[in-house]
Amino acid sequence: MTQTDDDLGNSTDDLKQRFGRDMFNDFDIDDPQFNEHFFEILDEMVDKCPVVRSNVGDGYYMVTRQADVRKAGQDWHTFSSAKGYMPNRPEGLPYLMPEESDPPKHTSWRQRLNPFLAPKTVAQYDTQIRADANTLIDRFIDRGECEFVSEFGAKLPGWAFFKNVLGVPTDDLDQLVDGVERGTFAPPEERGPAFAGVFEYLGKYLEIRSNEPPRGDLVDVIAAGVAYEDGSTSPWADRVSILVDLTFGGIATTTYVMAGAIHHLATHQGDRETLVDNPELIEGAVEEFVRVFPPVVALGRTCTRDVELAGTQLKEGDFVLLGYGAASRDPRVVENPAKIDIGRDTVLHSAFGVGPHRCIGSNLARLELRATLEEWLKRIPDFGLRPGTAPTYETGILRTMKNLDLVF
Amino acid sequence: MKVHVDAELCSGHGRCWANAKDVYRLDDDGYNADRGTTIEVAPGSEAAAEYGMRSCPEAAIEVVTQG
Repeated sequence: MTQTDDDLGNSTDDLKQRFGRDMFNDFDIDDPQFNEHFFEILDEMVDKCPVVRSNVGDGYYMVTRQADVRKAGQDWHTFSSAKGYMPNRPEGLPYLMPEESDPPKHTSWRQRLNPFLAPKTVAQYDTQIRADANTLIDRFIDRGECEFVSEFGAKLPGWAFFKNVLGVPTDDLDQLVDGVERGTFAPPEERGPAFAGVFEYLGKYLEIRSNEPPRGDLVDVIAAGVAYEDGSTSPWADRVSILVDLTFGGIATTTYVMAGAIHHLATHQGDRETLVDNPELIEGAVEEFVRVFPPVVALGRTCTRDVELAGTQLKEGDFVLLGYGAASRDPRVVENPAKIDIGRDTVLHSAFGVGPHRCIGSNLARLELRATLEEWLKRIPDFGLRPGTAPTYETGILRTMKNLDLVF
Repeated sequence: MKVHVDAELCSGHGRCWANAKDVYRLDDDGYNADRGTTIEVAPGSEAAAEYGMRSCPEAAIEVVTQG
């Protein structure tokens, strides 16, 4: 037996004992044990197992180290998004645009959409987002307590997106935000119908807007469509899909980072006081919170040819998850990665993905997080976890915090 | 000091600009405005240029001539 085999043998037994399954060779991203021991398992993987293997359904892999995640994310010729981002994708599920496409189709959309979510553009939403954060805080501050996820974290990102980016009528806002919230947090069987309602609204909204005078916004560009490489114009279904993708990708994800940050500050008095006394440190702290609370645990690619990745031979058609959550905890890149250090000099993470599919809403998410922490700490500088409570989580390719009870 | 920004690898994270605004500029799409070219770093801004370079999640920036 070689040294490597011996190590692997030991770690398999060890993993089964600690997590109830061999998380390296028999991984299941939906296993409740992964949710339960999330950070511990990610740290084990990034330390010892560059390519995790799953036998669920057709089987899939997950790369865990930052250099390998970057290599696969950047090499879209070999690691294609055109067959979707989820492993064992249900038959007949329509593909989301532009997330589930490759260049040049992906590029033709991104080039048109990028300006509307660039730092300069989203900066115009700063005042409105801060006002909205304060409106939400007004609703519960006198009570001296709140359930952060439902009363703030699930609301603000929806308001920020639907109001500022899509410009939907104010009267429709509650219905939409509620739909996304139920689509994320309701019992699993109610989520599909809740999201379906949101997507139906978005389709109608796009149709209405396409018949109205242009406002010079993102929705105009989506409604007009783009020219594809073959000379055709993007079909209507692709245009609705863009709106669905932006909505699905940009709201609940930000909620998790927000909740993670507020939970950390509720339970770490020193860091909380540091940020209250030195608000100029919040921008850097946001980057650290994005690194350590990864709402997108992993998204997948399909190999277009046989290829070796991180020492593992993959075959054409194999499905590989890019382990963003693990890669952001890679000790080869981040010193003492398990520590939440709000004063890090450089925060190098993979939370927004890597390569041409980089999260298009990353600038808006950062703005929402910064506005949240700045406004919250001004109004509620001293807060803690309600005694006897603890947050609960749900994890698959996405991770959410379901409840966070605070007192102040 | 000169740094090169790779045209293909820049994906618009904007970290170079966020951490070294005197050295790196963004275009209207939020991508490095000088991608595909080599930037001459002003004397005194070398440390900032390196900080911006280290912040890039794509490793899209490299030093071509030390200052």
